[in-house]
Amino acid sequence: MSLTHTPAAARSSLWTAAAGRVLAGTALLGAVALLPWLSGTDPARTVLRARSADQNPTPAELAAVRDQLGLDEGPWLHLAHWLGGLPRGDAGVSWVSGAPVMPQVGTALSVSLTLMLGAFAVTVLDLAHWLGGLPRGDAGVSWVSGAPVMPQVGTALSVSLTLMLGAFAVTVLVTGLVCARTVLLGSRRRLRQDRAGTTAAVLASLPKFLLASVLATVCGVWWGWFPSSGWEGPQSMVLPSLALGIPSGAMLGGMLDQALPAAFHEPWARTAYAVGLPSGHIGRGALRRTLPGLLPQLLPTVVALVGGAVAVEKIFNIPGLGRLALESAVAQDLPVLQTATLALALLGVAAGILIRALRHALLGRPLRDGALPALHRPPLTVPRSLRWGTAACALLLLTLVTAGLLRDPLQVDTAARLLSPSGEHPLGTDALGRDLLARLGHGALRTAWVALVVTAVSAVTGLLLGMAPRASAGPTEVVSTLPAVLAGLLIAGVTGPSVWGAACAVCVVGWSPYAAQTAALLEQERASGHIAASVALGAGRLHLLRRHLLPSVVPALLRNALLRLPTTVLVLASLGFLGLGEQPPTPEWGRLLSENQPYAELAPWTVLGPAAALVVLSVLAVTGSVLGRGKGE
Amino acid sequence: MRTTTRGLMAALALTPLLAGCFAPGESDTGAGPGGRLRVALAVPPVQALSPYSNDATVLSKLSVAEGLTALDKNGTARPGLATSWKQDDDTTWTFELRKAEFQDGTELTAQAVVNALTHAGAAKPKPRVLSDVSLTAEAEDADTVTLTTKSPDPMLPLRLASPALAILSAKAYAKDGAVSPVGTGTGPFEIARLNGKTKATLDRFDGYWGGKAKAPGIDVSWIADGTARANALRGGETDIAEWIPTAQAKLLDKRTRHEVPSVRTDSLILNTRSGMFADAGLRAAARAAVDGSALVDSVFGGYADPAQGLFGPAVPWAAGKRVEVTDRKEAATAAEVKTGTKGRTLRLATYTNRAELPEAATVLQQQLEKAGFTVKQDVREYTQMEGDLLAGKYDALVFSRVTLLDTGDAVDYLASDFTSEGVYNIAGLKNAAVDKAIRAAAAERDTESRQEKIMWAEAEILRTDAVVPLVHEQAVQGIADDVEGVILDPRERSLIDVDTRLK
Repeated sequence: MSLTHTPAAARSSLWTAAAGRVLAGTALLGAVALLPWLSGTDPARTVLRARSADQNPTPAELAAVRDQLGLDEGPWLHLAHWLGGLPRGDAGVSWVSGAPVMPQVGTALSVSLTLMLGAFAVTVLDLAHWLGGLPRGDAGVSWVSGAPVMPQVGTALSVSLTLMLGAFAVTVLVTGLVCARTVLLGSRRRLRQDRAGTTAAVLASLPKFLLASVLATVCGVWWGWFPSSGWEGPQSMVLPSLALGIPSGAMLGGMLDQALPAAFHEPWARTAYAVGLPSGHIGRGALRRTLPGLLPQLLPTVVALVGGAVAVEKIFNIPGLGRLALESAVAQDLPVLQTATLALALLGVAAGILIRALRHALLGRPLRDGALPALHRPPLTVPRSLRWGTAACALLLLTLVTAGLLRDPLQVDTAARLLSPSGEHPLGTDALGRDLLARLGHGALRTAWVALVVTAVSAVTGLLLGMAPRASAGPTEVVSTLPAVLAGLLIAGVTGPSVWGAACAVCVVGWSPYAAQTAALLEQERASGHIAASVALGAGRLHLLRRHLLPSVVPALLRNALLRLPTTVLVLASLGFLGLGEQPPTPEWGRLLSENQPYAELAPWTVLGPAAALVVLSVLAVTGSVLGRGKGE
Repeated sequence: MRTTTRGLMAALALTPLLAGCFAPGESDTGAGPGGRLRVALAVPPVQALSPYSNDATVLSKLSVAEGLTALDKNGTARPGLATSWKQDDDTTWTFELRKAEFQDGTELTAQAVVNALTHAGAAKPKPRVLSDVSLTAEAEDADTVTLTTKSPDPMLPLRLASPALAILSAKAYAKDGAVSPVGTGTGPFEIARLNGKTKATLDRFDGYWGGKAKAPGIDVSWIADGTARANALRGGETDIAEWIPTAQAKLLDKRTRHEVPSVRTDSLILNTRSGMFADAGLRAAARAAVDGSALVDSVFGGYADPAQGLFGPAVPWAAGKRVEVTDRKEAATAAEVKTGTKGRTLRLATYTNRAELPEAATVLQQQLEKAGFTVKQDVREYTQMEGDLLAGKYDALVFSRVTLLDTGDAVDYLASDFTSEGVYNIAGLKNAAVDKAIRAAAAERDTESRQEKIMWAEAEILRTDAVVPLVHEQAVQGIADDVEGVILDPRERSLIDVDTRLK
């Protein structure tokens, strides 16, 4: 925790960060390489299944596959072979298809990349080009089909590069819309009332896959505005970009919206207003002041979509990296999985470095010279309506849970399937005729409890790791782009099917947003004058931490955690197919949403109920925290 | 906001610039140009359409490649690339070839057939149609091929109809064992381009021996998600969408919805080897408790038939030859079940790969609980649990199985799933009577009596209560109004042929 920035210290910090990245990447690749040996599932069996579904797994066939893949050589030798091939642009041959991995991963990666883009279009373009360029240098490799690889990869790559422009653009747009009011009022010095950010909370808690389903049905099938699936032209990227960008944008917007009042409260803004500078000028200044604290969130929120948008990729039939990684992981197609993981890790590190550079560019000298005033929220009045809103949400949830608990959530009645809401079934029934109100009510406690515990563990881990920013930068970047499913597979391999496995898996990857945020905020806070003053007055480390550093980090961290709560619920449920988490038919909100998703159009109430419950929970958490903050001040 | 605005502007500026290089190939979002058919298939290619993998069926579905024989509606062999055949002795057969041309311009010769079949026999792992037989091919003269099997194989002509044994030209077989059907088949459509796992372009092959196809070509896209497939059809982005999930079927227009009985039977497999179902009385109790017909209208939305046995309506000869199951064990009462299970929990497994199975398991759980069992589910991805299933770690499994594998013959399925040395014997069944019945069926050469013996074996298996058939699935194919001549095949081997076209 040095407060001065001498060149030597800067150099050593650079080395620490680089070592952290290499170490994290190595650990990850090692873990992935061990997957078949950890999971106890014979890769020969999974590969045979992937190639030929109904084939009888005779010992002879399995032996043939094992022989072909060189499975007997063990994990380390295999990893060494694969690593040895990488510098030559040779990532091995897919165990399932027998086709070279590089072009596959390159294509999928670039498709995924296009899904997340935006301000970094150019940089990401370069990266994708580079990745796509690897196989290009390796003209000796050919597809199994015998068709030339290069034109195929080249076209696919340029295709995906074209489309870099979606999800991120939407994210930026939504972020802008969410904070528009604060910026407008703030820049005109009319910011009096506090805001709960209910809109942001509602949008951020919309499940992406549900949004994707609705968009595909409504805009794709009913209105025919855009293709409902495929990846064929600029029009194909509109719907997936919206589905991915709206919740992400709302989450970032919600965080930015809460940080802005502090910037407008600073003396420079008052002076600028008094001098009569245009409000746009003040708004820009405030954004420049607050964006650096938000930028690290791009990594887990937007860049992570490259590997973590599996559900949306499936719904829109986009051949992205998330699906490729998941399919190869399930089939234990190690060469593909390793290359995909490596690509994701590299992407995370590259994006992390870029974001860091961007932050430093925005904050500039003050950060270096330790002359950055700390941001402090002005006292704002909490609107009365907020209290009512919070009470209404709480009451609604309470009624829901009590009413639900009085009913049987497991009673299957095949004659009463997909009934619309009525007196007997206030929220309707699902495809098996089970009462949805009962399932929501019984699932509420378990869902909220597990999600809260996971969020709390992740946030505390993130906070602790974020306090050692140099060492944790690498792991944070590597982990933030890692899909939770991959962690789930590793956990399932170690523990087998288990109730707490899903929670563990989400904790393993879930801390990265908080670590990134803590690191960024602490860096800014340490550069502020009052810390230097405290040190000069003889404050110890503990005192600094308790009185200055933590109070500046924790509120923002809490806000972030609460906004991410609904996502946690959904991610937990998404690991069910690995046998992690509660097994069906136990009701659980995430599962309610995913198991009813196919009926979204036929019986909309089957998903509306759970989605609304999730929204109410999220709004309650966010408004509750605002009320708590109001009291605290 | 300066940086982000700039990024946004850059992005918007780049869009039209780069739009040109979007779709690899055609950007056909409207109706297929010039009557080309647009097809959405469900299972993306895993091995670049190699006939030795799952992808083989694509070759026959889209009439790209053909075998020496083909199957007719009743499941008997009819001429394919061979015009006729005769059995010389127990293990030797002679096939006369027709005059045909490969899509790469070479002639179909006996040598080409020998080459193709030899490659199939040497493939590693073996294609599943050859898993229990060794085949040697020899060219007699330019258009006569002699096939010799190691042991007598009465089903050989049926076997040869399998798409895994499609005859491709010499160009298709690479040195490293890879096989490419791109431009090497003999069918009315040739693959012009295969674009990874997402798209393929097929053009009409004008030199087809059976005349020119009516459609000028096929544009294939693979859409793994069932909802997305249904959406593509409803949105007019495709003309044919296979396997519409039952949850989506109701959303399709009545005229575009076509159901086909499938050879897939869903059943409840009981673990006879260990655990509570080693007790025949408890098995009988489970059999009596479980009612598959409750699933038909609920879970399957009407797109299934209540189970009559292991073989359903898609196996046309089964109903007429069905043998009644007699001497069944008396089902235990709920009280007996309570004492018999000794407080143990029934571990009910199923997998997520087929969307209906987890729902079916929940319905079955309730039925079993009514009969006195305590049930706990374990639902995972299939590959995650196959090892555990074969090791007998579960008491019961809701299982969906294709009853007629590649040979079009049912003995394969019975032998692997129910004989004591069967490799896919999840029930862990070891029953002398069952083994004997299946062996007898396997040895029978006459088609009629073979079918009778298969049905005898079915009765023997059902008597053990190791398997409780639940439903026979139906596949729902989505076919746009203006398409005619699509083949609705229970074996899911054909879909489009010479006569399929847009009206």
